[in-house]
Amino acid sequence: MTPAWFGVGLLACVLGQAIFLLPISVLGIRPDLFLLLVLYVSQRVTPEAATLLGFLVGLTQDALSGAPLGLRAFTDGLLGFLAACLSRDLYTETPLAQFGLVFAGSAGAGILSLGLFLFFFGAVSPVGPLIRTILPEAAYTAAAGVVLFSLPRIRAALARLV
Amino acid sequence: MVGALLRLLIRYRRTVVLAGTLVCAFLLMTLQVRHESSVVSVTRQVLLFAVSPFIRLTSGILHGTGSVWSDYVDLRDLRQENLRLRGEVGLLKRRIQQLEDQALETQRLQRLLGFRETWPAEFLSARVVGKDATNWFRTILLDRGSPDGVRRNMPVVTADGLVGRVLEVTPTISRVQLLTDPVSSVGGLVQRTRVTGIVSGNLGAGARVRYLPLLADVVPGDEVVTSGMGGVFPKGIPVGRITAVERKSGALFAEAVLSPAADLGRLEEVMILKGTEPHQGFETGSQR
Repeated sequence: MTPAWFGVGLLACVLGQAIFLLPISVLGIRPDLFLLLVLYVSQRVTPEAATLLGFLVGLTQDALSGAPLGLRAFTDGLLGFLAACLSRDLYTETPLAQFGLVFAGSAGAGILSLGLFLFFFGAVSPVGPLIRTILPEAAYTAAAGVVLFSLPRIRAALARLV
Repeated sequence: MVGALLRLLIRYRRTVVLAGTLVCAFLLMTLQVRHESSVVSVTRQVLLFAVSPFIRLTSGILHGTGSVWSDYVDLRDLRQENLRLRGEVGLLKRRIQQLEDQALETQRLQRLLGFRETWPAEFLSARVVGKDATNWFRTILLDRGSPDGVRRNMPVVTADGLVGRVLEVTPTISRVQLLTDPVSSVGGLVQRTRVTGIVSGNLGAGARVRYLPLLADVVPGDEVVTSGMGGVFPKGIPVGRITAVERKSGALFAEAVLSPAADLGRLEEVMILKGTEPHQGFETGSQR
């Protein structure tokens, strides 16, 4: 993936997350496109690059939200590293397996974010955010991930047909 | 020595990059949360400013496209009506629809104007161009920036009540922290009994009034307005209505669940209150 395509992807995430996904939010929950970008890029670069790109993606997401700068940069950097290290072992094109992996990544990033939030902002019951935000977000992101990750295959299949 | 260190760094570069990145992210958070560092603030503003033209442009295009599309849909409907009712009835229907739209717009503007007359302060209307990039925090982006006179901590309202406060300002765009944001806090006053509390967001779900005296006379249905304490929000702006009161045994304070007065999920246009420093005419707010 070239830097230009990464930039286009990041811009698409910014616009998607801030504007385009609003009509399809369910109870205020939208798929996390930034996380999907990190997972997608991490499979195509070295773990070092994935860490840095994850950090950059997270930093951009932090700047576009009320989160303290560094919250998502931390989780996305770590997620990028893990995804890049495990990409060879965990690569799959099966939709159900993809769903499970993205769900696990998103839920893991959410739980880590919650931990950091509790560390910096004090006591909040973790059960409510887990049920209301982390798990629904992980499920929605995983579903969106399955669709987005299968787009190149669908395009290739259509090209073969044409 | 230096050569050996470099070799070591190269050998363990993966660990070094990961550790460096995580430490850097953690430091950024610490600097912002514990010290309100200007470095972090500037970094945020630069990043927000960098993407703001794209957000404004896209939002503008969507807004325009929406109008064109609704016009197109109306026109198609009109043609069908024309065919069925020999033209004239369809034209009249379209005219009625336009008038209804105008009436709704007038009604909305009148409510805004009414609110504006209630508060003798300078108002600046703004359009919502984007929302928070996470599902955790509750912020919105407005199409007004520092050249319009927007400054940090200015209150933001709708005709129904309080929305939040301006958190960050760039030349082209501003970010507003909604009162339902988990790190937002607003001084609140129960209008009926004058009991004070702190209205704060609840991570992922609505808002609560915290630090209410345990035996305070607060019941579901009570209206909450801003208390004016803290110096950010003027006194008397409607904040919301209490829907439930929780008094846990052993707790020092009671808490209440609050339903915000303004529909924070469907914000399209808001007003920024300019010139809200103390003693600028907001004392009248307590008489409301």
